[in-house]
Amino acid sequence: MKKISILLLTLFLVFSCSKDLENLNQDTKNATVAAGESFFTGAQKNMVDYMASINVNRNVWRQFAQQVTATTYPEEANYNITDRKIPDNLWAAMYRDVLKDLDESAKVLNATPTVGTAGATTLKNQLAIIEVMNVYAFATLVETFGNVPYTEALDFTNVLPKYDDGKTVYLDLIARLSAAITSMDTSGSSFGDADIIYGGNVANWKKFANSFKLRMGLIIYDVDAALGASTVSSAITSGVFASNSDNAIFQYMNSTPNTNPMWVDLVQSGRLDFVAAAPLVNAMNGLNDPRVNVFYKDPVGGVIKGAPYGANNSYALFSHIGSLFYESTLPHVVLDYANVKFMLAEAAERSLGGMTPAAAAAHYNAAITASFDYYGVSGAAAYLLQPSVAYATATGTWKQKIGTQKWIALYNQGFNAWTEFRRLDYPALVAPSTGVVNVVPRRFTYPIGEQTLNGASYTAAASAVGGDLLTTKLFWDKF
Amino acid sequence: MKTKLNGFLTLLLALMVQISFAQEKTVTGKVSDASGPLPGVTVIIKGTKTGTQTDFDGNYSIRANTGAVLQFSFIGMKTVDQTVGASSSINIVMQEDAQSLDEVVVTALGISREKKSLGYASQSVSGEDVSTVNSGNVTNALSGKVAGVQIKRNTNMGGSTNIVIRGNTSLTGDNQALFVVDGVPMSNANLNTAGQKTARGGFDYGNFASDINSDDVESVNVLKGAAATALYGSRAANGAIIITTKKGTKNNKVDITLNSGITVGTLDKSTFVKYQKDYGSGYGAYYGNTGYFDEGDVDGDGIDDLIVPLTEDASFGGRFDPNLNVFHWNALDPDSPYYLQKRPWVVAENMPDTFFNDAVTYNNNISMAGSTDTGTYRFSYTNFLQNGIMPNSELRRNSFALNASSKLNDKLTVNASANYVKSDATGRNETGYSDNIITSFRQWWQTNVDIKELEDIYFKTRRNVTWNPSWYDNPAPIYWDNPYWARYENYQSDSRNRFFGNMGLNYKITDWLNVDGKVSIDTYSYIQEERVNNHSNPTARYSRYDVDFSEVNYDLMLNFNKDLTEKINLNGVIGTNIRRTDSRSIYAATNGGLIVDRLFAVSNSVGIPSAPTEGSAQIGVDGIYGLASFGYDKTFYIDATFRRDHSSTLPSDNSYYNYPSIATSLIFSELVDAPWLSFGKVRVNYAEVGSSAGFAQLTDVLTKPDPFGANPIYSVNSTKRNPDLKPESTESIEAGLEMFFLSRRLGLDFSWYKTNTVDQIMPVSISTATGYSSKYVNAGEIQNKGIEVSLFASPIKTDDFKWDINVNWAKNENKVISLYEDVTNLQLGSFQGGITINATVGQPYGTIQGTTFVYHENGQPIVIPGGSRGAVYKKSTTTDNVIGNMNPDWNGGVSNKFTYKNFNLSFLIDVQKGGDIFSLDTWYGYATGLYAETAGLNFNGVEKRAPLSEGGGIILPGVSADGTPNTLVSNFDFYGHALGYSRAVSKQHVYDASYVKLREVAFSYTLPTKVLDNTFISGMQFSVIGSNLWIISKNMPHADPEAGLSSGNLQGYQSGVMPSTRDLGFNVKIQF
Repeated sequence: MKKISILLLTLFLVFSCSKDLENLNQDTKNATVAAGESFFTGAQKNMVDYMASINVNRNVWRQFAQQVTATTYPEEANYNITDRKIPDNLWAAMYRDVLKDLDESAKVLNATPTVGTAGATTLKNQLAIIEVMNVYAFATLVETFGNVPYTEALDFTNVLPKYDDGKTVYLDLIARLSAAITSMDTSGSSFGDADIIYGGNVANWKKFANSFKLRMGLIIYDVDAALGASTVSSAITSGVFASNSDNAIFQYMNSTPNTNPMWVDLVQSGRLDFVAAAPLVNAMNGLNDPRVNVFYKDPVGGVIKGAPYGANNSYALFSHIGSLFYESTLPHVVLDYANVKFMLAEAAERSLGGMTPAAAAAHYNAAITASFDYYGVSGAAAYLLQPSVAYATATGTWKQKIGTQKWIALYNQGFNAWTEFRRLDYPALVAPSTGVVNVVPRRFTYPIGEQTLNGASYTAAASAVGGDLLTTKLFWDKF
Repeated sequence: MKTKLNGFLTLLLALMVQISFAQEKTVTGKVSDASGPLPGVTVIIKGTKTGTQTDFDGNYSIRANTGAVLQFSFIGMKTVDQTVGASSSINIVMQEDAQSLDEVVVTALGISREKKSLGYASQSVSGEDVSTVNSGNVTNALSGKVAGVQIKRNTNMGGSTNIVIRGNTSLTGDNQALFVVDGVPMSNANLNTAGQKTARGGFDYGNFASDINSDDVESVNVLKGAAATALYGSRAANGAIIITTKKGTKNNKVDITLNSGITVGTLDKSTFVKYQKDYGSGYGAYYGNTGYFDEGDVDGDGIDDLIVPLTEDASFGGRFDPNLNVFHWNALDPDSPYYLQKRPWVVAENMPDTFFNDAVTYNNNISMAGSTDTGTYRFSYTNFLQNGIMPNSELRRNSFALNASSKLNDKLTVNASANYVKSDATGRNETGYSDNIITSFRQWWQTNVDIKELEDIYFKTRRNVTWNPSWYDNPAPIYWDNPYWARYENYQSDSRNRFFGNMGLNYKITDWLNVDGKVSIDTYSYIQEERVNNHSNPTARYSRYDVDFSEVNYDLMLNFNKDLTEKINLNGVIGTNIRRTDSRSIYAATNGGLIVDRLFAVSNSVGIPSAPTEGSAQIGVDGIYGLASFGYDKTFYIDATFRRDHSSTLPSDNSYYNYPSIATSLIFSELVDAPWLSFGKVRVNYAEVGSSAGFAQLTDVLTKPDPFGANPIYSVNSTKRNPDLKPESTESIEAGLEMFFLSRRLGLDFSWYKTNTVDQIMPVSISTATGYSSKYVNAGEIQNKGIEVSLFASPIKTDDFKWDINVNWAKNENKVISLYEDVTNLQLGSFQGGITINATVGQPYGTIQGTTFVYHENGQPIVIPGGSRGAVYKKSTTTDNVIGNMNPDWNGGVSNKFTYKNFNLSFLIDVQKGGDIFSLDTWYGYATGLYAETAGLNFNGVEKRAPLSEGGGIILPGVSADGTPNTLVSNFDFYGHALGYSRAVSKQHVYDASYVKLREVAFSYTLPTKVLDNTFISGMQFSVIGSNLWIISKNMPHADPEAGLSSGNLQGYQSGVMPSTRDLGFNVKIQF
């Protein structure tokens, strides 16, 4: 009967084990909570990684701006962005990888007790910086797609978020940005080292926020001149970038996964996917622009040679992206002084911010000089003296002058270069004959995932923006 | 089983009957049944051990006393007792006996049952049938042998086999059948990465049921439906493969068996690329001045030379011209015999099919079985060694098994089994897209590159001298390594030490009541190591993934079996089961390359390695269950089961679940008197079973990306968990009919079933605008309904010759009834080529979606002018078109066995009808101009690849927008033509996965026992065995339609799949 008792013991074991069985279901290897700063750092990195990438699955804007083109696989150069689901990737990167973590960061920081008034100021600055990044990410989405989910975004209980009108969203973003600028206390601290753009320097963030606000003001200007004007004025008054040392740059490191993403695609992969594109190269060569030898390498017959945009190109026959851009530690430029100076030149031409068109030339010269300086290229003064470059004598309207030089200065800032082209309509980029559409795209088509997962909202938005096409001009792109 | 049972019964009866005394004489006679003489009938003098058997003509001869009782017994026949009288000739006509045919099968939880009493479908396969052809994975051997079991092996060495019974019931969960060996649930996990399963790249590490040694298998019983598996409760949803291993027999001698086989597998060329041989490297005419060759001063003579476009991994380049001498890849390396030599521009002598070796498999088994006074035992050792067709590939397996049973006293029996398996593999083939040599061969290759030259230079230099360098003065590979370098320098290995076994006690309380206690364990420790050496195209790396797993089951069962009256029997079980699984893992990898070449250690990392990823998952289920089976007059049976599970993976207020089933059967042949009907049974059942949530699906956890320098990063997990989950639940009804006719010469087993699985636990994809990619919900319903038919026949049965046929056929119709809220599509996987595999409402599970044709109302695809690049098919603007489905329409198998005296011939034809596959291989490979279809003459009798101006081009079958037949000629002079990835619609690369295969052929000869009479050998058998010798029919070009990526829910897609082999083996079995 001893055996029977063993068996009975086993039976007893069943019921004793069974009580707290659910305790087994604990993941003991993964965190459920973390510091607010850690989400912020991640969001920053995800945001800049996306904008810096040259991967054809993620970021094709350098090609859209015809700064580079493809060799053997020119599908994206011909505006096929659906095969590789590029819109889906941008959508996920901004909403899921940037905005969601910013949201979580703010939530955690708000719930974390602060110490003293300094602590309260720090929190206020942190939340303001998060807000600036929120605005940046949403602005990128609106400028790319038009209408996007906004008021109903970032809520997992609503899996069918409606899309909000692009302009309405944009105006709200400007308001949020202004509020964030107002709440920044430059005497206080913020994220410290967890901020991998400005090291927690609130004054720098304020200048960045104002510079970005200046940009938003100009973007909205054609569709709402009054609001554009006031936005530009208040940004300038509050203080935009004053030198290259104010630039928003993201300093990469020398080992993966913290290298510049370009390094992964250009160097680590061993692939030879890109060559210089003829439109930018020819423009720079025509202007005797010495920056061409920094932007590109491997001259052919002594000169930098660009390939026909969108064609199948032999890597060997053309020049390539410059050596500088093959560095793993290459900083990514989020927004720079040269861009701000070009914006001020434009503001002067539009008589905004208390300026008159007479002020445009000085800003234009400063912008070009800032670009030369940033790349350590000498000869800016001589360059500016050329009649083809000098503001007074260069060809065309102010839009063409500024547009052309800005295009050059925005080398390797694909998204900005493409957006300025759409806004200023210069340079006059031409779509390749083999392209999916016969003009340079004016927007991205919506993600395929939205069609299948959020169909009704998608359909409404597609018709509201005037058709879910690459060629549909967005609300701010009036000309 | 049945023979043994009869043997014991006979023996027992013989012992019990008194011996009568009388005059001894020789009695002779003939034994027959309704169909003629019966050979092999046991004739025994009742009460003695004296006996004989009838010969081929049914004749016997025995010496017996007058008055003695001769007992005639034969399987399936009523035993006849005949007293020896005056006559010395006794002829017997035996009658069939349905009762004696009571096959005993092992059912859920290891409960042995008479098959005839079961109210649900089960189908057995003998150990011999699964071990004759040993592919290294016992799962493969079930293909075509069991109706309703869908088996998709694949062509990867040691690769995983998908085994699904009666269709997919879970949208995103595990649909693989449960494996149980001697009552021990065995993990059939597949630890392939998500990237491997979605064809991005990686290795197919196989499914772990391959650790079951086919030499040790006595029988396999497949429990198909929910009613059959209901006692497994929350793990019963997918059917079960119940394996019983061989045991020692009680015959007072030691049986030693040696089984030794060698198999050679050769490439089945119908499953590999048929290359065009007219054009070489390039994507079109845009290189150098000639259009087809790069230029550079290779030999330093100051003059630019023509160079093969080395950077290009395509064959849409210049037409071969033996009179044109150019520099090839191996003109650039000083160690090459062709260094700085121009050579003719011709197709390679050795194409990639010469890359494959013959696969050789050795299987050696020794077993010893026997008995002692109180018990039985069996030892077995198997050594399995397989070299794959890829260079530097090898599988090794050492299996040890021990089974013993001992009666400790009258009431207490102990039995135990212990199995230890060590499985090792080196050099499994890469799968999927990236860094896979076969992807290169099938999608990205230059037909001018000679495999043998690549082999020679690798072995001469041990450097990565590749056909695909970055430029003529830069030998670093641009896309592809030398394939030999890739095989010998960038190889994986894995090793698994596995133990499974159990120990049980049975205590007989009374003759109708006993109690079983059993502890069983399945545990393994496992390591996967992956390597890429420096100087390779992929970044050099080393990674290791260590897994420790165990599942322990404690079972306590009270078994009863009592005849309540003469006609009424009640038997059943009350029991409890405690299950605990514990899985721990750690993954660590180098970052950014290796410091020292060929040193594969995490510490040899160029960059700081990412923190190792750890996993620790514990799951527990406590169950109580009962089974009551009520039998009336051996004619009518009713079974009821009940199980209540308490699962650790569900929220505590929601973690207890009940699973009932009821099954009935009526043996109507007992009620009717029809001599042609040997046996007839109808069965009907209903069951509810479930499947629980996975580990830690209730609580959100953060993801932990690498820190940025000193700054830690955390991120919100992209999958939103759900704290309110409940188990998936399957309701099933089933009906069946079993009949045997004409003295069991003809048999039929038919089943119809319908299962509905609701409350699916699934991470549904949601708009990323929510901040998440997916969230866990309990929703959705899948229905499976189908029919299964098995037919058995013995058309010829004479003294010397016997022919048996077995046909299995099954059709499953699967339909996704609903998903989540208004969601009508659930993406299961996203693949290159714009392809997704989905569950779509109203469609069968596993739709293949992508772009499709735009059809004219006459049903023909519309062809449109495509501008400067030529006419193309009009492409749908959307990518969510259903262009195929991974489910076959039906599966079937026909096996034939011929026995002539000592010769035995059997063959199995395995058929799948329907099912679709998207091929990324032709999607890219047509564009890159590798395949035979991309060259040759067109409708004009001109080279397709000639420019339109010279009469080249192709005409796409289809119509113009107005419905008239298409007459537009499409350019076919560069890769961006209308058939390849550049401009094709996805549907152009969807193929029908049907096949008819000669799956197995076995021819064996058993030495007559009299030859061995005076030797120590008691039996000897020689066999010649063929496996997959002939794909009789298929519609998929250039590949085996069974080839795929992995086991699991994602099927219907091929990229860089291995070709298959025809295997021919020789086997000797010796018994001592």
